[in-house]
Amino acid sequence: MKNTLLMYEVCAGSSAIRQLRMLGEKLHGRRVVHVNSTREGGGVAEILHWMVPLMRELGLDAGWEVIRGDAEFFSVTKAIHNGLQGTPVNILPSGWAAYNAVNEANADTLRPTLEDADIVVIHDPQPARLLHLCPGRKGKWVWRAHIDISHPHLPVWKTLRSVVRGYDASIFSMPQFAQRLPHRQYLVAPSIDPLSEKNRDLPAVELEAVRAQFGLDPARPLLVQISRFDRFKDPIGVIEAYRLVKKVQPVQLVLAGGGATDDPEGAAVLEEVMDAAKGDPDIHVLLLPSDAHRTVNALQRLADIVIQKSLREGFGLTVTEGMWKGKPVIGGDTGGIRRQVVDYHTGFLVNTPEGAAHRIRFLLYHREKMKSMGEKAREFVRENFLLTRHLREYLILFHSILSGSSEPRIYV
Amino acid sequence: MTPFVVMDCVLLTRMSGLPEASSLRELRERLAVCGEGVLYHHFSETLLRPSFDYPDYHNDFAVWAKLSLADSVLAERFGVLDPYFFSSLEELRGALLDIIDERLSDLPVVPTVRRGNEFYFFEADTVVFDTGDRINAPGELAPAVARMTTGSVFFHFIEARRREPFGMDDFSAWLLQFGDEAAACRTALHSIDFGFLTLAELRNEICERLTSKCR
Repeated sequence: MKNTLLMYEVCAGSSAIRQLRMLGEKLHGRRVVHVNSTREGGGVAEILHWMVPLMRELGLDAGWEVIRGDAEFFSVTKAIHNGLQGTPVNILPSGWAAYNAVNEANADTLRPTLEDADIVVIHDPQPARLLHLCPGRKGKWVWRAHIDISHPHLPVWKTLRSVVRGYDASIFSMPQFAQRLPHRQYLVAPSIDPLSEKNRDLPAVELEAVRAQFGLDPARPLLVQISRFDRFKDPIGVIEAYRLVKKVQPVQLVLAGGGATDDPEGAAVLEEVMDAAKGDPDIHVLLLPSDAHRTVNALQRLADIVIQKSLREGFGLTVTEGMWKGKPVIGGDTGGIRRQVVDYHTGFLVNTPEGAAHRIRFLLYHREKMKSMGEKAREFVRENFLLTRHLREYLILFHSILSGSSEPRIYV
Repeated sequence: MTPFVVMDCVLLTRMSGLPEASSLRELRERLAVCGEGVLYHHFSETLLRPSFDYPDYHNDFAVWAKLSLADSVLAERFGVLDPYFFSSLEELRGALLDIIDERLSDLPVVPTVRRGNEFYFFEADTVVFDTGDRINAPGELAPAVARMTTGSVFFHFIEARRREPFGMDDFSAWLLQFGDEAAACRTALHSIDFGFLTLAELRNEICERLTSKCR
């Protein structure tokens, strides 16, 4: 069953939904087509699964097309993806040829739909060349970059830039990710779905079951960091911080993440973490399956404090998730965590294990403050980082781009 | 009597096209040439942007000076700039540049930020639309404001000051037609110092003032 706007009203508030309905009403019947490269799995598909039905509910004629490619294509696009994120990769001309060929084959099928649309939103690099293969397009084309291209491997970006520069606009998640392009570059931050398994309210009995499953003591404070076992997430630093706190407070720590087994570096980091945790029954290192959303949800809800002590981070949606559960967050002073964590309001930004330990102790001592910060954090997410805001920003973009106006203020 | 037409507005931020600034001198260079939309966004539209509601200052330059340049003197000087005290954005730009020039001449070295703390110059596209709601009498104003979105509050109480009649919010301008009957309401609205309020707080403040003065 798809979630409806009415279902989101409880979390996002009636005025947010009313705004969406009004913005949608004025786009009634507009044909919008999203294109990406997978129907299932990954963040983009996750977004489109909620966004397309909600756009339809608002009256837009929204559709979602998925390009088909062979193994070679996806191997090249994986290399493009890595190159855009800064990994030095060498994509041979034959690789780019394979990329072009798959786009051409898809264009043969999709051309009528795409050329007829009022707005086409192309997600990420995989289908980006479709723009050049639809010469009869009548609508506006937007390139949506979901990945961090703040420091791309230049040969890859140079080629892709020549592909995306012809779009009417592009969207980036953060200003740091934006690149110079000869069109408007909009900023749309990620969001969370408050009704998803990872974020919905859970019954107390389920929380207690998860607590019992992992042997967590209800009488002692719990610190939780949810993240891949990756050095940039600094799990060892979190253990150091925990140890500093434990000298004065009887705390427990959960480090939970998934997906390390097929990643050689992830497996090595996990081993280091297990080593660092050895002999301490109050450190729980949990390697969770990728679909353990309700378990992650429960752990965040059981936490007294959520930690995301990253050394480098994109946006940091686990911070948003923790805040949505009413928890103050102690986060690394980096990337999108800075946008979310505000000292003394929604948590604390820290740079060292010592800093994290200091703030954890502060919060555990000032329980009332911890509670009010958690409440404020939840309201902050409600206003700014739920999918309703994400959807609203797409609608604003559509209004803006369809108006054809260069004025910053559009009356509709 | 003309009914009050309740509008709403929403905005989407975009990159201005200016390179980011990593020092106070670069900030000055960019500010000297940026479009007025950039100035307006960083001074006024911050309230509407998805971001945390309780910074020490409402303008981004002051926040950057404090958090990234770690220059609280500069932050305080930027922070006191009220865009609605200036007759134009060009005048505001001039004041901003004067403050930077004075600060640069005070300091032995040009302050710079560490990587990741650069100032990004934004502007915004704003969509304005009629909500369909109408207010017919002064006594209806407070409950109507209570139902408004923060976008409506911004449009009618803050952004309105840039439209004719300049410097006046839309509610006060509308109340003028009721003459002395609404004089207390206008005075109540005029006395709100909105520079330290979030839009939600401002909405509550307007409602409280109107409820006690406007029947």
